Amino acid sequence: MVKFTADELRRIMDYKHNIRNMSVIAHVDHGKSTLTDSLVAAAGIIAQEVAGDVRMTDTRADEAERGITIKSTGISLYYEMTDESLKSYKGERNGNEYLINLIDSPGHVDFSSEVTAALRITDGALVVVDCVEGVCVQTETVLRQALGERIRPVLTVNKMDRCFLELQVEGEEAYQTFQRVIENANVIMATYEDPLLGDVQVYPEKGTVAFSAGLHGWAFTLTNFAKMYASKFGVDESKMMERLWGENYFDPATKKWTTKNSGSPSCKRGFVQFCYEPIKQIISTCMNDQKDKLWPMLQKLGVTMKADEKDLMGKALMKRVMQTWLPASTALLEMMIFHLPSPSKAQRYRVENLYEGPLDDMYATAIRNCDPEGPLMLYVSKMIPASDKGRFFAFGRVFAGKVSTGLKKKDLYVKSVQRTVIWMGKKQETVEDVPCGNTVALVGLDQYITKNATLTNEKEVDAHPIRAMKFSVSPVVRVAVQCKVASDLPKLVEGLKRLAKSDPMVVCSIEESGEHIIAGAGELHLEICLKDLQDDFMGGAEIIKSDPVVSFRETVLEKSCRTVMSKSPNKHNRLYMEARPLEEGLAEAIDDGRIGPRDDPKVRSKILAEEFGWDKDLAKKIWCLGVQYLNEIKDSVVAGFQWASKEGALAEENMRGICFEVCDVVLHADAIHRGGGQVIPTARRVIYASQITAKPRLLEPVYLVEIQAPEQALGGIYSVLNQKRGHVFEEIQRPGTPLYNIKAYLPVIESFGFSGTLRAATSGQAFPQCVFDHWDMMSSDPLEAGSQASQLVIDIRKRKGLKEQMTPLADFEDKL
Amino acid sequence: MDLDSYYEITRTAEFIHSRNFTRVALQFPDESLKDSTRVVRALRDQLRSLKKCGIEQNGGNKDVRLFVMADTTYGSCCVDEVGALHVDANCVVHYGHTCFSPTTTLPALFVIGKASISVSNCVENLSNCALTNGKSILVLYRLEYAYSVRHIREALPEALRLSEPESKLEVHFADIMGSVMNPSDVQNSFTGLLGTVGDCTDHRTFGVASGNTYRMGGLCWTLPDGHRMEDYLLFWIGSDNSAFANVVMTFNGCDTVRYDAAENCLVTDASQPKRVLKRRYYLVEKAKDANIVGILVGTLGVAGYLHMIRQMKELIAGAGKKAYTLVVGRPNPAKLANFPECDVFIYVSCAQTALLDSKEYLAPVITPFEAMLAFNSSISPCLRGSQWTGAYVMEFQDLINSCPVEVNKSEEARFSFLSGGYVEDFDQQEEENGRGDEGALALVSAAQKVLQLHDNSKSLIKGTARSGPEYLAARSYQGLDLHYDSSLPEPYLLGRSGRASGYKDEKSRQVE
Repeated sequence: MVKFTADELRRIMDYKHNIRNMSVIAHVDHGKSTLTDSLVAAAGIIAQEVAGDVRMTDTRADEAERGITIKSTGISLYYEMTDESLKSYKGERNGNEYLINLIDSPGHVDFSSEVTAALRITDGALVVVDCVEGVCVQTETVLRQALGERIRPVLTVNKMDRCFLELQVEGEEAYQTFQRVIENANVIMATYEDPLLGDVQVYPEKGTVAFSAGLHGWAFTLTNFAKMYASKFGVDESKMMERLWGENYFDPATKKWTTKNSGSPSCKRGFVQFCYEPIKQIISTCMNDQKDKLWPMLQKLGVTMKADEKDLMGKALMKRVMQTWLPASTALLEMMIFHLPSPSKAQRYRVENLYEGPLDDMYATAIRNCDPEGPLMLYVSKMIPASDKGRFFAFGRVFAGKVSTGLKKKDLYVKSVQRTVIWMGKKQETVEDVPCGNTVALVGLDQYITKNATLTNEKEVDAHPIRAMKFSVSPVVRVAVQCKVASDLPKLVEGLKRLAKSDPMVVCSIEESGEHIIAGAGELHLEICLKDLQDDFMGGAEIIKSDPVVSFRETVLEKSCRTVMSKSPNKHNRLYMEARPLEEGLAEAIDDGRIGPRDDPKVRSKILAEEFGWDKDLAKKIWCLGVQYLNEIKDSVVAGFQWASKEGALAEENMRGICFEVCDVVLHADAIHRGGGQVIPTARRVIYASQITAKPRLLEPVYLVEIQAPEQALGGIYSVLNQKRGHVFEEIQRPGTPLYNIKAYLPVIESFGFSGTLRAATSGQAFPQCVFDHWDMMSSDPLEAGSQASQLVIDIRKRKGLKEQMTPLADFEDKL
Repeated sequence: MDLDSYYEITRTAEFIHSRNFTRVALQFPDESLKDSTRVVRALRDQLRSLKKCGIEQNGGNKDVRLFVMADTTYGSCCVDEVGALHVDANCVVHYGHTCFSPTTTLPALFVIGKASISVSNCVENLSNCALTNGKSILVLYRLEYAYSVRHIREALPEALRLSEPESKLEVHFADIMGSVMNPSDVQNSFTGLLGTVGDCTDHRTFGVASGNTYRMGGLCWTLPDGHRMEDYLLFWIGSDNSAFANVVMTFNGCDTVRYDAAENCLVTDASQPKRVLKRRYYLVEKAKDANIVGILVGTLGVAGYLHMIRQMKELIAGAGKKAYTLVVGRPNPAKLANFPECDVFIYVSCAQTALLDSKEYLAPVITPFEAMLAFNSSISPCLRGSQWTGAYVMEFQDLINSCPVEVNKSEEARFSFLSGGYVEDFDQQEEENGRGDEGALALVSAAQKVLQLHDNSKSLIKGTARSGPEYLAARSYQGLDLHYDSSLPEPYLLGRSGRASGYKDEKSRQVE
């Protein structure tokens, strides 16, 4: 721990070249938080006066209980590099003192939004990968997200201790495992070729990969060993590093380096020979308490132990020795400082991603140059509940200028900042101002900022906002909540508002039937939200939650069996229409925003014609991503279309993937008789009629589930998946491990209680990760009484307070 | 039932005669229009005979002229004063179901009519209900059953005694208000509603409370001191119509059972009103998101409607929204869809027609009370979010005095439960920026806002415009002036012939 006063900390914040903003990202349970803790223990900045009694990161009770991180927490670290280690550093710097703003983020998919928020305000990422489990689905997701934000990654292969203690693998086998992990990560990173960011792949021989054991608090990069051996071999460090990885072999018998295994028993790979084996040796010596052997070895390595530490035994001794020899903080922090960009460097290329306005205006320039004298540009990425209930800190990053207490801020409102705060451990310290490149928390803005915001100075009227964050998960699981005591309604409403503010992902809304709905990314996420709502935001008032509700989509299977017609209320106008399913992939293209209503019609029709085989003329005539030509009533039909597509004919769920074609219209000669009043309801009716005649189907949301488990758990996994209508589409054994990686599709509606059931069926060996993947058509016909889909429709209608029976076609369609 | 007793010819004639009305408008609901000629004939005969006696007393009276009014512009439960004034009538006789909404200018006589009911069956159900429930009961009824309530009241103690002699259950009956309404009475009831003004200390209590006297839709009842409405079980006699909905909404804290006189059965399903209430709550939330509000004038008779409209306008302007006042007669989906720019409609009308299930409408239709919940922040500081505990006010006379319109801007960004997030009301910012922003600057900021709006990918075309012109600007088709490529007149084309239900060419198509 580094003891600091707020003033001292504030001093370093001005050295923009000596700041590193970075987040720690990984799959759940790969050891982010443990690793972070060891960094914090060594270099965490805490306030001078409370040095005695702090805990590193004030974890929430439920986080500790479940053993997972739920909210991302930021912490500042201080590290002073030695002149020697900075020798080869080429970048700009201001002395040897470094400030590292580190954000530990959750690994569970349900909390991906926290990762997104963390990534936005950092420039680099430490990707933690379990050396045994390898690159998992969430590793991949967050990595893609990071690269999308132009965050430069470094990798650490974690849980090295498992190799030595649990699995006891031999050097070469271990090397292959590590190599594979790194390769897998690089495959993902390679797809994000970005000229501005340069090569983002990681290479152990370049020092961008570390090997760590978070639990035991040690880590190394090849730099550590290269330094050690460079003088011995009389080569320079970089040369040595290259030899320590890849196809470089050393035979101690001949004292020769080769690029192929010479076949002699003493010939070993450089990494094995010089890194893996020495560590293995030390560890086994410690574990076997062979202290007589140990001390000379340590002396050779230049490691000195304190007297009282020498009395330790076994595992404790091993931990202590390793921590002293290869402290995790030194290896990791030096790697970050060396290879991750400073804000001033990162903002040079991130500005394009960040700023919505023209890239040559003064704001873009100020961001690009990370100019503390420029106009203020501050992005608030999340709201953190403060200790006094109901208030929030606005947490974010200053991209340009300086933010100071009392400054008038403009978002959409002009408001002044009550206090600017920086975090020192769990304590917040008020500072006068915070310059660009740093993270900051602001007090007094929580009423105006809803979730995210761009803040500028009051006078900067022409500044454009910083681009909003894009989340990788969507809130698909919903519960209805109501309060037990009716008079608590205001509390509930207030609580829901606060909940929405504190979590960027949760959506609190209201149904047509008047029920309050909370939507979250997954079951766990919802559980946490409900707990927060009840305990923190409603003062413990009791709430009743419904069973989870899944929203469906309505679509059609084929083209309408005939052209349907509806007459307007005055019978003078007729609309003829047909519905048909959209081409495969088109709905997804619309989801991704490749095709949108505001596109240039020419571009859009080109995409439609070339990729989806639409008739060119037809494609040009799209009204509202669906229809054809007719000038005057267009707006009215569009209004009817929007209305109808929001509430489909089956169960008033949204429609998806349907193309409605207006075949013919008959209009009254007088404009007054073909106004919106006549056309809008008619358009709605004819759309319903054409939907019903085109074999309507329900779409249900489907999760992609990834499960890792040992072989003996597979039977349990398969039976649970079967029972839950899931199907496995990929099963791969992780090379070098007894673990299997299973990917399956699972309907969201069946996913409630899934992880519990799975745990029970596999005696806790399988842990699923679910991410929303796609909409899947339910094969049964909702119009056929007694089918599964029709039962579903009835249930939905009942819940929504609609008539159980669907409105018959005859009510929508008119005959001549 | 014969004409005389059903339409109360004698009483009507006496009323007209005694007050010396010379031009009388008879307002019939559509369903009894077929009897109108016979009623007029009978009434005229009766008046003649009365007049004969009259001439003997004072002499020289002109003939009374009777006018039949039908197809009322608004709900047939209200007195159509405007219609009556067209024929220069000085009195209205209103037939059929009524909401007893006070009139502004003309005196009115209400002839409610009588619906058949099995008294014994009703009493049996009522006593059963009283015994099983254990709560005191308040009996409310549809006005058509008023004539038989007397019999029920008499028969009930007997029935109760028979089944359980020890019973001390209280059963209260509501009384029907006098069937004559004078505009001058209205002035009284406008401010105090029979009770003295001082009694109205708490306007936010249930319904039309003044002391312990309640009035609603032509019924009035007084509770003993110290009793609250929640202590009673409401027993409604009649069908599930708007009057019943009105009662259920207003006293939504009470348990309600309904005795259906036509079916002779008791309906105790309590979930329906709760659903309705929740649905209304949703509509209030939806209204909060509205930018353009249409005020539908749903009455030209109910006293205070002009005041109400004015108040609504102030309210809406205060909330930074745009209001348009529309007169479309009785609203239906087709009529209101002609104003697609309106995000929500406020229906200013008598209490019994105001609750409109707007499911089939493009935009929701809410009552003035709901509008106050949605747009007003002055009733209590946090009301404009939520502070709705369930109290519901239907009759807008009660709203007028109780809620002074003063809008103090809430500082916080508003939470919209529809979009599931916070939304910025641009208006507030505008005002905070100072109204000094004039001319070019104001334009710039407006343009900026438009830009910001368009960046919001979630927003549909509807709901982003803040005034009629802005909405028009966003439309793809803005008028009738089609831009022809050539200035030459188009050649004539032969149009369709036939009727709208099927033109001639279509007919033939069908035959083929």
